[in-house]
Amino acid sequence: MTDAARTTTAPLAEPAARPRTVALRPFGLDGARTGPISAVTGFLLIAMWFLVSHYRLVTPLFLPAPGEVAAQFIAILEDGYAGATLGEHVSASLLRILTAALIAASLGIPLGLAMGLNRWAKGVLDTPIEFYWPLPPLAYLPLMIIWLGIGEVSKIALLTLAMFAPICLSAQAGLRSLPIERVNAALSLGATRWQLFRAIVLPSALPEILTGLRIAIGVGWSTLVAAELIAATRGIGFMIMSASHFLATDVVFVGIGIIAAWAFAFSYGMHLLESWLVPWKGKT
Amino acid sequence: MLRVQNASVFFPGRDGGTIHALDRASLDIDANSIVVALGASGCGKSTLLNAIAGFLPLSDGSITLDGRPVERPGADRGVVFQKDTLLPWKSVLDNVALGLDFAGLPLRERRDRAAELLRLVGLEGFAKAAPHELSGGMRQRVGIARALATDPKILLMDEPFGALDSLTREQMQELLVDVWARTGKRIFFITHSIEEALFLGTTVVVMSPRPGRIVARFDLDFVRRFAAERDVRAILSDPEFGDLHNRIRDLVHRPHHAAVHRGETLQ
Repeated sequence: MTDAARTTTAPLAEPAARPRTVALRPFGLDGARTGPISAVTGFLLIAMWFLVSHYRLVTPLFLPAPGEVAAQFIAILEDGYAGATLGEHVSASLLRILTAALIAASLGIPLGLAMGLNRWAKGVLDTPIEFYWPLPPLAYLPLMIIWLGIGEVSKIALLTLAMFAPICLSAQAGLRSLPIERVNAALSLGATRWQLFRAIVLPSALPEILTGLRIAIGVGWSTLVAAELIAATRGIGFMIMSASHFLATDVVFVGIGIIAAWAFAFSYGMHLLESWLVPWKGKT
Repeated sequence: MLRVQNASVFFPGRDGGTIHALDRASLDIDANSIVVALGASGCGKSTLLNAIAGFLPLSDGSITLDGRPVERPGADRGVVFQKDTLLPWKSVLDNVALGLDFAGLPLRERRDRAAELLRLVGLEGFAKAAPHELSGGMRQRVGIARALATDPKILLMDEPFGALDSLTREQMQELLVDVWARTGKRIFFITHSIEEALFLGTTVVVMSPRPGRIVARFDLDFVRRFAAERDVRAILSDPEFGDLHNRIRDLVHRPHHAAVHRGETLQ
């Protein structure tokens, strides 16, 4: 080494015991914590509800007090509503949505994958799906009732149709997102067509399929309540509709609260399912 | 032996025309050799590799491996891609064992074999890691181990170190020489780095674009010397290395002039 290349450095001072850590200045949220803000907001909304009903700023007919809603909930829990227990209402709704989800997934996933792989499957199925799926389910509910009666079959058929499209479309999107290099890598490792499908295609499409399933469950809830509002004798949607006829606003609140709780539980369940089935999502 | 004879590839171009991606390329890859295809982008080197791998049919000509025509991808030709193609849902060990899984080997056997290959590429401590936990260089090591697992007759490497930083790249080149010296696999390697080509190739074919063509061929012994002596500096400072570097540089930049002018072997 020549003298010109040699460098000298002055001894550095020892670093502080707890140095100040820094990060690049973010743009947008960038994962900033919003939990405490959301919790305070929720708390404030409930506090406002208490205040508004306590000082009777709105007539109880429109906005029942929290205490009344809680009392009504316990009353329904103990005595049931409109000839059925709360458990029967809830299980009627859950049975419909879960049955429909199962049928929609077991049809939508294979058909969606087939549409991504096969020209004929895509060509034949595209027309009916593209025609019906932008329609609001309530628009063809009357048709379902005329064709299939007012029993369970028409409701489950309606829900299945509403949930099928997002699942089927997401399975197709999952196939489109499959990189060709991954396919080629598997083929050059000696994969047969079936091995390619099982080991590469299906797991590659799984994150998109689960996203579709999550959307489908959301669509399912909104369609379910609407379907029960029109033709049912059981179910949370029916409970809300029936209560509104008698201006029993507190019962309406109870029904909304139950749906919210279940929808949240489903959403959380989907989140758990994703972290169990596709822990690699977003980490490439 | 892998033999490419008069391989031509035309791609459909715009306005109904055609693009001549590969023009009558001929190449033999013998046992225990590393053939490096070197050239600027668009010279047809990846096209040639894709054809040998069986991903791309030829417009004309033939490719045979030990006398049998190459038509589709298969486990007798292992491929290492430039882009990382590891499966994110499988552990490093199971990624390496993927080809053995396809071949129907029992779990114990394929895990043992995969662990052995991970040792070969210097990743014995990472069997249970997920691919996304590894660095780019480490992932390419896994890719090499995976391609070797099915014991292919030839290893096809498509700019495998192109996306790595230059320090990691040097380590990977030395690793590849180790793997080659120990397994005796024949290798077809693609690069646009002249230094990499000279360092790794027992044969370097220089390719030029429009149409993609092999314009010159050099038989070298730097890689054998490195495998024996393990002295990088002696090779890099060898005047012959520098001289070849300049000659190939001229060829790559002005393929037709330089080759004729210097009287290289034109193919």
